[in-house]
Amino acid sequence: MFDFSTITTAIDQFLRDIMPSQAALLVECVLVALCAVLAYVMFAIVMIFMERKVCAAFQCRLGPMRVGPWGLLQVFADVFKMLIKEIISINNSDKVLYNLAPYLVVMSSVLTFCCLPFGEGLLVLDFNIGIFFIMAASSFGVLGILLAGWSSNNKFSMIGAVRSGAQMISYELSIGICLLTIVVMSGTMQISELVEAQRDGWFIFKGHLPAVIAFIIYLIAGNAETNRAPFDLPEAESELTAGFHTEYSGMHFGFFYVAEFMNLFIVAGIASTLFLGGWMPLHISGFDSFNTIMDYIPGVIWFLGKTFFVIWVLMWIRWTFPRLRIDQVVSLEWKYLVPIGLLNLLIMTLCVVMGWIF
Amino acid sequence: MDFKKTYIGRVIYSLVSLTTGLKTTLIEFFTPKVTEQYPENRKTQHISERHRAMLYMSLDENGNNKCIACGLCANTCPNGTITIKTKMVTDEETGKSKKVLEEYTYDLGCCMFCQLCVNVCPKDAIAFNNKYENAVFDRSKLVIKLNK
Amino acid sequence: MEMSTNLLIFSGLALLMAAAAIAAVTTSRIMRAVTYLLFVLFGTAGLYFMLHYTFLGAVQIIVYAGGIVVLFIFAALLIGKGIIDVTHTSKLRYLAGVLASMSGLAIALYLIVNTTFITDKFTTDGVPMTVVGSALMGTAKHNYVLTFEVLSILLLACMVGAIMIARKK
Repeated sequence: MFDFSTITTAIDQFLRDIMPSQAALLVECVLVALCAVLAYVMFAIVMIFMERKVCAAFQCRLGPMRVGPWGLLQVFADVFKMLIKEIISINNSDKVLYNLAPYLVVMSSVLTFCCLPFGEGLLVLDFNIGIFFIMAASSFGVLGILLAGWSSNNKFSMIGAVRSGAQMISYELSIGICLLTIVVMSGTMQISELVEAQRDGWFIFKGHLPAVIAFIIYLIAGNAETNRAPFDLPEAESELTAGFHTEYSGMHFGFFYVAEFMNLFIVAGIASTLFLGGWMPLHISGFDSFNTIMDYIPGVIWFLGKTFFVIWVLMWIRWTFPRLRIDQVVSLEWKYLVPIGLLNLLIMTLCVVMGWIF
Repeated sequence: MDFKKTYIGRVIYSLVSLTTGLKTTLIEFFTPKVTEQYPENRKTQHISERHRAMLYMSLDENGNNKCIACGLCANTCPNGTITIKTKMVTDEETGKSKKVLEEYTYDLGCCMFCQLCVNVCPKDAIAFNNKYENAVFDRSKLVIKLNK
Repeated sequence: MEMSTNLLIFSGLALLMAAAAIAAVTTSRIMRAVTYLLFVLFGTAGLYFMLHYTFLGAVQIIVYAGGIVVLFIFAALLIGKGIIDVTHTSKLRYLAGVLASMSGLAIALYLIVNTTFITDKFTTDGVPMTVVGSALMGTAKHNYVLTFEVLSILLLACMVGAIMIARKK
């Protein structure tokens, strides 16, 4: 397996040779931030294209085909359009908060994005409490949505924002329980160690029944966390025009849009890290020649492949089911997902104590 | 107690019904797509025979039509799309004078393709064809003389 | 070298926190005040991360950001439109506020000056997760199981109360 830390260490050494360590640290910070933001935007563009094509396929259409071959340049055209559009300011709105809200949403999503392990040594933030930090960083995105809804001075936005608040606070609980199930199983919260622990088998195979249940609950709750259909009632088009981002235009709307897509990427990335082994290739203990062949595929491709598979599953769910009502959303969470998740956590603990995991 | 109405039964049955929905869309995902890529597919595209795109008069090789200039089509047309100019022609053999079509004008821009004119024609002189690419740059070009 | 970078980050965070704190108390709109408070709390989390105490930093974000969400909802929904813009303050209130903040400052300064900081016990490795976990759940000295349980009983009481209020008769 190729270790990316050799490259990063070499760059670090090079920078330290030509300048004082303090300046090198600063340059590295800027470089890492630049790379992270660039990757963030590139993935967003890829995902918007993917969403359009997958949605079209589920509806028996072809999707964008005109701009560039197979419509490949469509997203770039859209981004360009969004960049040159005017940013409108609203009468009687709270200007400061109105302009702050999109940045809060993007900040939360970029912070979470930095925790994803793209490959061996290709990981920006690797704390000893990585999973917990992911929960924390993703939890304040809802603040931006609430602020956007409130400061727009529009009742549709406000209703959308409050719905979003209720939904995201509830579903965070399920996500927390699912992550906890995996933490109980692996005994660590550090992301690099979590991936390392899946060297001889992914957690979804190692943890069998409780891991599969946790995976399903995580997918449902993660879908709700990204405000996508069937949980898109914060921005329900038919009732609330566009929900919390009704009044936003130009790139401010673009931030919400990109953050929504990247939250989907992050949810899928965490799912593939925790359940499907992250960048770890498919290893079956005993079949050494098979494992060696699998090792030849780079870890980045494994990670992206798994992530985009989970994204595809989430899009499949999105384009299949109709929107839930707010009471259905809340009762699904509190009457079904939380009790089942807690029971599942108990089963997992029992399995770990009895040594029933592989 | 009905098993379907218990807590566990509800979870299981809702999962089953959700899976049914997912299965349906998955089949749709892999079916061939129905989108027609219009300007590129001119050669292969299929337009139904009965698609009403434009009125025409069937002419024989001499340019004669079956129209008897009765004016029924012009009278039926709700939009006044058709105007018929006639002239009186005296038949040389019998010496009787007869109303003959001089000019059959059809305004495509006014037509709503209701097919009343075609239905009312006693001689089946007019019909709709499916040649639909009728866009022009000038409105006056939509007024078409159908007979020769 | 290492120290001065730390100093730079610390002063940046401290400036952010001080500015946000002043803005929070001087603004007349309650939603803005809450948002500025959020930045103070983020700054505190940043300080914890600087000390490599990542667990507390994440707790700071998750608990206080959640708390701010609650404040938002209360401020936006439960407070009437008249109270959202606080413009009228009597002089007595003003004086009381100044006195309270001054005494707070005095206490903080007294503590900072009179405390000897145990710098030699400070580690830059951070505390392992298992140590934090067993300290939270342990029954030995300097462990927190009693606090933990008391808090959970408090939260349970809150939940029961909320359900009682929300329940249909």
